[in-house]
Amino acid sequence: MNILEWSFLSGVLTATAPVLLAALGGLICQVAGVFNIALEGQLLWGAFTAVVVSDLTGSAWAGVAGAAVATLLFAGLLSAAAVSLRADPIVVAVGLNLLALGLTAFLMRQIFGSGGTYTSPDLAGLPTLAELGLDVPVLGPQSPLVPVALLLVVAAAWWLGRTRSGLRARGVGQHAEAAAAVGLRVGGYRHGVTLAAGVLCGLAGAQLALGNVTLFSEGMSAGRGWIAVVAVMLSGVRPYRLLLACLLFGIAEAVGFRLQGAGLPQQAADAAPYVITLVALVLAAVAGRRRRENA
Amino acid sequence: MTAVATRTVRRVVLSAPVVAVGGALALTTLVMLVVGVDPSLAYPALVRGAIADGNLEYTIAAFVPTLGMALAFALPLRAGEFNLGGDGQLAAGGVAAAALALSAPLPPVLAVLLPLAAATLAGGLVAALAAPLSTRLGIPAIVSTLLISAPAVSLASYLVRFPLGEQGTGLAQTPPLPAAAHLPALTEGGYVTLGLPLIVALTGLWLYADGRTVLGYELRATGRNREFARYGGVRVNRLAAFALAGGGGFAGLVGGLIVLGPPYRFVDGALTAPGYTFTAVAAVLLAAARPFAVPVAVALLTLLQVGGQGMEREAGVPSQLTQIVQGLIIVIVAVFATVRARRRRA
Amino acid sequence: MTEPPAAFAAELVGVSKRFGPVLANDGIDLAVARGEVHAVVGENGAGKSTLMSILYGLHRPDAGHVLRAGRRVRLRSPADAIRHGLGMVHQRFRLFPGLTVAENIVIGAEPVRGGRLDHTAAHRAVTALADRYGLRADPSALVGDLPVGVRQRVEILRALYRQAEVLILDEPTAVLTPGEADRLFEVLRTVAATGVAILLVTHKLTEVLAASDQVTVLRQGRVTGRFTTAGTDAGELVHAMIGRSLTPPAPRRARPPEGDPALDVRDLTVRDADGVARLSGVSFTVRPGEIVGIAGVAGSGQRELIDSVTGLRGGTDGVLLDGTPVRPGRDPRVAYIPEDRHGRATAPDMSLAENLLMGGQRTLATRFGLPRAAVRSRGRELVERFAINTASVDLPIAALSGGNAQKAVLARELTRPSRVIVAEEPTQGVDVGVRERVHALLIAARDQGAAVLLQSSELAELRELADRILVLFEGRTVAEFGPDAAEAELGQAMTGVRG
Repeated sequence: MNILEWSFLSGVLTATAPVLLAALGGLICQVAGVFNIALEGQLLWGAFTAVVVSDLTGSAWAGVAGAAVATLLFAGLLSAAAVSLRADPIVVAVGLNLLALGLTAFLMRQIFGSGGTYTSPDLAGLPTLAELGLDVPVLGPQSPLVPVALLLVVAAAWWLGRTRSGLRARGVGQHAEAAAAVGLRVGGYRHGVTLAAGVLCGLAGAQLALGNVTLFSEGMSAGRGWIAVVAVMLSGVRPYRLLLACLLFGIAEAVGFRLQGAGLPQQAADAAPYVITLVALVLAAVAGRRRRENA
Repeated sequence: MTAVATRTVRRVVLSAPVVAVGGALALTTLVMLVVGVDPSLAYPALVRGAIADGNLEYTIAAFVPTLGMALAFALPLRAGEFNLGGDGQLAAGGVAAAALALSAPLPPVLAVLLPLAAATLAGGLVAALAAPLSTRLGIPAIVSTLLISAPAVSLASYLVRFPLGEQGTGLAQTPPLPAAAHLPALTEGGYVTLGLPLIVALTGLWLYADGRTVLGYELRATGRNREFARYGGVRVNRLAAFALAGGGGFAGLVGGLIVLGPPYRFVDGALTAPGYTFTAVAAVLLAAARPFAVPVAVALLTLLQVGGQGMEREAGVPSQLTQIVQGLIIVIVAVFATVRARRRRA
Repeated sequence: MTEPPAAFAAELVGVSKRFGPVLANDGIDLAVARGEVHAVVGENGAGKSTLMSILYGLHRPDAGHVLRAGRRVRLRSPADAIRHGLGMVHQRFRLFPGLTVAENIVIGAEPVRGGRLDHTAAHRAVTALADRYGLRADPSALVGDLPVGVRQRVEILRALYRQAEVLILDEPTAVLTPGEADRLFEVLRTVAATGVAILLVTHKLTEVLAASDQVTVLRQGRVTGRFTTAGTDAGELVHAMIGRSLTPPAPRRARPPEGDPALDVRDLTVRDADGVARLSGVSFTVRPGEIVGIAGVAGSGQRELIDSVTGLRGGTDGVLLDGTPVRPGRDPRVAYIPEDRHGRATAPDMSLAENLLMGGQRTLATRFGLPRAAVRSRGRELVERFAINTASVDLPIAALSGGNAQKAVLARELTRPSRVIVAEEPTQGVDVGVRERVHALLIAARDQGAAVLLQSSELAELRELADRILVLFEGRTVAEFGPDAAEAELGQAMTGVRG
């Protein structure tokens, strides 16, 4: 196999991982009937808190844990407002996305003394699998969170299909009143998935800021949380299809990155993931419509 | 008499916008205290930054695009569509206006009007792309507008840097527009232009249309219960598309107004960097479905936004604090709206 | 502790519940014994549903309490109720369309082995229950694909799976054909014979007399009668239910239908998004001055027929209004009273005046727009004319009671300049007074020359109002009856049994 192709596949996986982690959060929310479009803000918050904790402790793993906890707390705002107080989840999410943007930019100046991009020798990035002794193609240059993300896809599928809580969460999502009538605590499941999505977004942010790169820059989530929302829509709430949708995004980003190297303007590379995701979404919707008409 | 007055006072004090702003300011003060900023220094700095020392002109200059973007969000919202793609529509409008103004020498009045019309059209087209996705394919506008926005911003950025870019400077901006295309200024600084009366007039028109025309009624019915409107014979898909395109048109127009105002060129990033789009979203949500409150909410948040920069200069508080306030306001408004609706039903 | 042997399976003692100004339950006592089928009857709005919701933990009573097997229990949620051996079959099914029959039945008490769902055990348990009570259902079928009658079986099986000793059925026959209803009653007998206490909530007296052992009658939140079924009759029950005897129905018509059909449906075929024919070759006419009733089991093509006649499904040559094809969108020549009051007939958050306006906005508009004063004064005029009880036309229509909201819908639709009126379940969920008023309005419209298409799941309503009754079955018109058709005949036609 050509070395170049291995590195391309590796690039795809790197680009996919943060989106996939966030999208898994969106997926489990969707299962239980929570339309979670606050993934973007949570991803950004996760990236920021990962960098702060890693910078303070000098440990990337502490950064990962810190991001998971901090984003869990952030997701608590969503679950309190949208689940407990039953506020419109869309409006709350719009507010939280803005809050995350403002909060990270503000705290960045307070903590690191300047805006823009922060990086420092004190900031510990995640080790690669190769450094941990697993020197294989494609996975070797990845952080351990990448295989974790892939395993979580399998875990999500197992949870949905094979476990009691998975069945109950699906029930809550399909018909909340019916779920209440058979004695399930609808709010409990919704809090659970919203908070779990927070943890997953925290991991996604940590992967983005400590795995893909080792820095934080303002707005570095750059729409990945929204791509994750689209991936959930494309998946039809099936974890393996979710993986495919996220890989599509990863390919788009990796291709854009390559083309930029080949002299294409940066703007085209920036736009590529969005355009490809959007086209995929439209094609999937059209195909779904046609299938229904022709059946 | 006093009882009535007390009741009125209570109703105002407990209204969603007052609670939201109050709550957000309380939380902001808390944030300041946590990070060690003295609110008694920060808030006066904020007020000075917004209205004193000739800053009022900047505030008014920022009020115009924010109000325009508020219309861009509010018009589709009345029909139940979330337009979060304001940045892309704004950039498309700006680039269309710049391209037209630079490409052909136009007679005086047309040199302003045609680029503005082109900007409106461009913004409207970008937003209208989302309409069939929402009405025919069931992709929510909140997602599609946002996804379309990013490539639109990239495209505008590309055009401004390369085909339309100013040669030889290496800066990401177009050459200055011909003088005929400059918006007439209303103040000495030149920052407040004819754009102010234009946007104010358009806001008045929107308010009138919303409350007192068949179109406004049908748009509202579409937003409140689409099935009801469809049942009543309203062409809901067409109206939703119109509302999105109209919103995009307002955003495009704002882009045009910014480019035809000082510094009379399209500087890459200058349209989207101030965050007009989301300040406007926050303002409209703060107005909580009361159209007449939209200009007031826009004014309030613009003061906060511009004042925030003063606060940064004087008190060293990062101006991003205002973004935090906006985010909190939106969340509090959303929560308050439900809590109140539930209390009313009980 | 030993149970007192004479204790009732379930007992409600002095239960009161208030919703805002409405006292839904006022000091109600009700007791049901093991192995007994106990009917709870009353008009719509008499407080039956509230009472059963309290027994199932969905509402908490303001006063009074619940005894279960003689012991006082506190029911704060359905989960509590289930734990205390109560089960409920809801009028609107509480089923998960995307889950299988087995999953729907076991959810909440799933068999688990080694941390995983035990699908095999679930299927076994469901099959065993189904056999025991003669309630056939394929455990691996998706509930969303099942016909209504089978879905109800799934709900009953679920309650039995959770070992309900008190089974509440809320208007269980509303969605069934007369034949299916008879089978349901047989099943209930079998279940009761095993010692389960059954509460049968209904407003249909024939069912009460056919299926129950004891009857409790409610009116306006109070108990107005307790009877042993064997020792009572319909007249006595009616008197307890409405506090007077029924007035004989109004003379059927003022003048015979005349002239060319105002509504002419010709060989109408409608396919759904999946390409399945929901209506096939339906033809009929409605002449001015005539009420034509549409009967049928839910989902027999009523929705498709009505959406075609009103134009909401798009234009079609299969529907002619005064001789020209129906126009797509919403044909203004048809007045339409929809079944779904909050989903389709109103925008709950908009004001009463604005809800009354829909459809007439263009006629009220002037060159300068839509004057608010005109919108309000038209609203006030309709409020006056149709006796809609409201403090102001500026209130959101959601603040009105169901009956007043329905009157508002009728006011709007009947004042349209339309010769064809489509009424879909026009008296669903309204009290008996509003029901009489709605019937009078429809009859008056007919007498003034309107052609009325009336769809109702209540055969009594159809027989009372319609000049002819068409029966839909699987998207076809399978029979036509006069108003004096027997319920059994109609029922047979509704299930596809041809006479």
